[in-house]
Amino acid sequence: MKKILTIAIREYKAMVGTKAFLASIVMMPILMLGGLVAIQLLNKVGEVKERRIAIADGTGELTEVIQRAAESRNAAIDSALNDQENASMAGRDRGGPSLNRGEKFYFEVVDQELDEEKRISLSERISNQELYGLLEIPANALDPLAAAPQDSPINSDQATNSPLDAIRFYSQDSGLSPARGWLQSIISEHAKALRLRQAKVDPIIVAQASVPIEVKGMGLVRRASDGTVVAAEEKDVMSALFLPMGVMMLMFMVIFMASQPMLESVLEEKSQRIAEVLLGSANPFQIMSGKLIGSVAGSITIFSIYLVGIYFLAQQRGMLDAFPMHLVPWFIVFQILGVLFYAAIFLAVGASVTQLKEAQSILLPVWMLLMSPMFIWIFIVQDPNGSVAKWFSLFPPATPTTMMLRLSTGQTIPWWQPATGVLLTTLATLAIVVIAGRIFRIGILWQGKTPKLSEIVRWGISG
Amino acid sequence: MGNAIELQDVTKSFGKKVAVNRVNLSVPEGSIYGFIGPNGSGKTTTLRMILRIFQPDSGVVQVLGAAQGKTADDRLGYLPEERGLYKRMRVRELLTYYARLKGMYNCKPEIDRWLRELEAESWVDKKIDALSKGMAQKIQFISAVVARPELVILDEPFSGLDPVNMVSLRDAILSLREQGTTIVFSTHDMDMAERMCDTVFMIFQGKKVLDGSMESIQAEYPANRIRVALSGQDRSLPSLPEVSDCVEHGRFFELTLRDVEHSNVVLQKLASQRQVTHFEIVKPSLHDIFVHIAKPSPSVEQAA
Repeated sequence: MKKILTIAIREYKAMVGTKAFLASIVMMPILMLGGLVAIQLLNKVGEVKERRIAIADGTGELTEVIQRAAESRNAAIDSALNDQENASMAGRDRGGPSLNRGEKFYFEVVDQELDEEKRISLSERISNQELYGLLEIPANALDPLAAAPQDSPINSDQATNSPLDAIRFYSQDSGLSPARGWLQSIISEHAKALRLRQAKVDPIIVAQASVPIEVKGMGLVRRASDGTVVAAEEKDVMSALFLPMGVMMLMFMVIFMASQPMLESVLEEKSQRIAEVLLGSANPFQIMSGKLIGSVAGSITIFSIYLVGIYFLAQQRGMLDAFPMHLVPWFIVFQILGVLFYAAIFLAVGASVTQLKEAQSILLPVWMLLMSPMFIWIFIVQDPNGSVAKWFSLFPPATPTTMMLRLSTGQTIPWWQPATGVLLTTLATLAIVVIAGRIFRIGILWQGKTPKLSEIVRWGISG
Repeated sequence: MGNAIELQDVTKSFGKKVAVNRVNLSVPEGSIYGFIGPNGSGKTTTLRMILRIFQPDSGVVQVLGAAQGKTADDRLGYLPEERGLYKRMRVRELLTYYARLKGMYNCKPEIDRWLRELEAESWVDKKIDALSKGMAQKIQFISAVVARPELVILDEPFSGLDPVNMVSLRDAILSLREQGTTIVFSTHDMDMAERMCDTVFMIFQGKKVLDGSMESIQAEYPANRIRVALSGQDRSLPSLPEVSDCVEHGRFFELTLRDVEHSNVVLQKLASQRQVTHFEIVKPSLHDIFVHIAKPSPSVEQAA
């Protein structure tokens, strides 16, 4: 046991006692979450684009409505730009989606009706980027039957017989264009007001009657251990989406940062013939056990650093209530199992090859297993008790990450599921450690050409 | 005094290749035993079986009185050839780690003693990758002996050392022997083996081909070489039918005779023509014996 501990202490020091470790502690969250942060930043400080749109208005009355709305929108953007602190206000004009906050619209009025030649000519100007888009409004656009969407039940046969049955927006990105959404909302609002007036209904009364009634998302009321009733907490996007994602990312980072050094450690021992010295002092079981314990200790250090960091950040921001302290014990259990599982595989592969790049190609499927929950996390968060979430979280290579993802959604997960996850992952980890131990014992003294994958599998099965 | 190592009929194969074939060996306690043999002859496999890294397929390996088991023996020290050190560890940290792996926890006095003895005290806080090859070799030697093993196995211990460091390491090995430690070292340096070893063991193509003291080995090989020096300005040597080969070494000629019995005849013939100032029958060196055994036979050469 003393030898195992001696090896574990060296592995632990080799992992955490370097500048590279500190750098990776800082860099990993930046790399993992950097994309999200970058989108946020770019959204805030992104350049304002000026979109010039040709408008062919068959009704003769919508052009003015649209231009007035655009002027109001453009002024709001300018005002927001002048006041960076209120930049987010720029998108709050007439219900436009937040994505179009950086786009100002200007209109060029063309003929009321267009023939094919005119459309081609305007399309070419769009291709040459003289124009951003073309809005073509048929004369009957404000007729409720003609302007209804294609799939609407109101779109009857007589409507489709008209020469131009819908308002059309032509642009190179019309499928995703925020301009199309904005135009649709402006025209719809105008049409609604028009129809209400025609029906002799006061639009102001309708507007007041249409004020939406908010339904707040709440957690559950519960009774605390001292008998007092704890009020339900409001659930927002932060707790519903980002908390589970953060927990999943943290589990991935901890497993990755604690397992990867095992590969490098055993490769160094093999290439520098340190393995022979170690095997002259301890048997393969002791060496591998020591390394795995060192790796688990390293992972607990990594987790502790992040836990303390996140706790203080939450305290500073007054978000301690949202801090999921009850998940910590589960996290530690799944983290230990995950680290043992993957570190054992990394050790076995490291012992079987002579170069890092050979190990990387063999480890590709292992990486895919470790990262698999990240491909479907959104489905799991949306339905953490669904079949996909349940069965995926009971698949041992994915259990640590997926089960923590489910638990952190705040929904009730039947207790037997994490318990079964622990049991199955423990059994799988034991099997992997035994198989990896056999591979390690043979591979560590293997010199010359890299063995084939089938050969490594044979070592693992027959020893 | 017993034997530190006993190998009885030991065989070890890797797939179809027989690396060690029915080898017997006895290494007496407190001796210096030289392992020689060309690359790929089975030397390292034999050493690894002694170290318990490998188990033999058949036969018995007994080390320090214990039959083979799967557990490494803390009474053994091992120095692999050239490498064997963690490059990013500091000298004291590394030596402490290796001593603890051998079960020695209060190792500071022993580490300091060895660093002093090998004049390496100033390197104690240096990282291994900052050391020269010779310095690293000394640290590697200390790591093998720091836990006071009863048996030390050294694989090419003099590799990378300059003559001064070579002498200090040789003295350290001899002082270990004086303290009763058994030393087995593998080397390609035949002169060093000849000068330091009490007994020499040679393995070739998995089989033992030499085992004994230098005197007994030399006695087995014919002394068919003579060294002569002649006086006078004429440096040429008369051609003699009894001589198969002649090599000039400064003022000496080294002659290989076709038959051991020809030495007197050659001396008479040389003395009749020139004045002989030096005549010596040369005992076969370990180098000669090694080359004699390990060189490919003519049939093999022809086939190649």
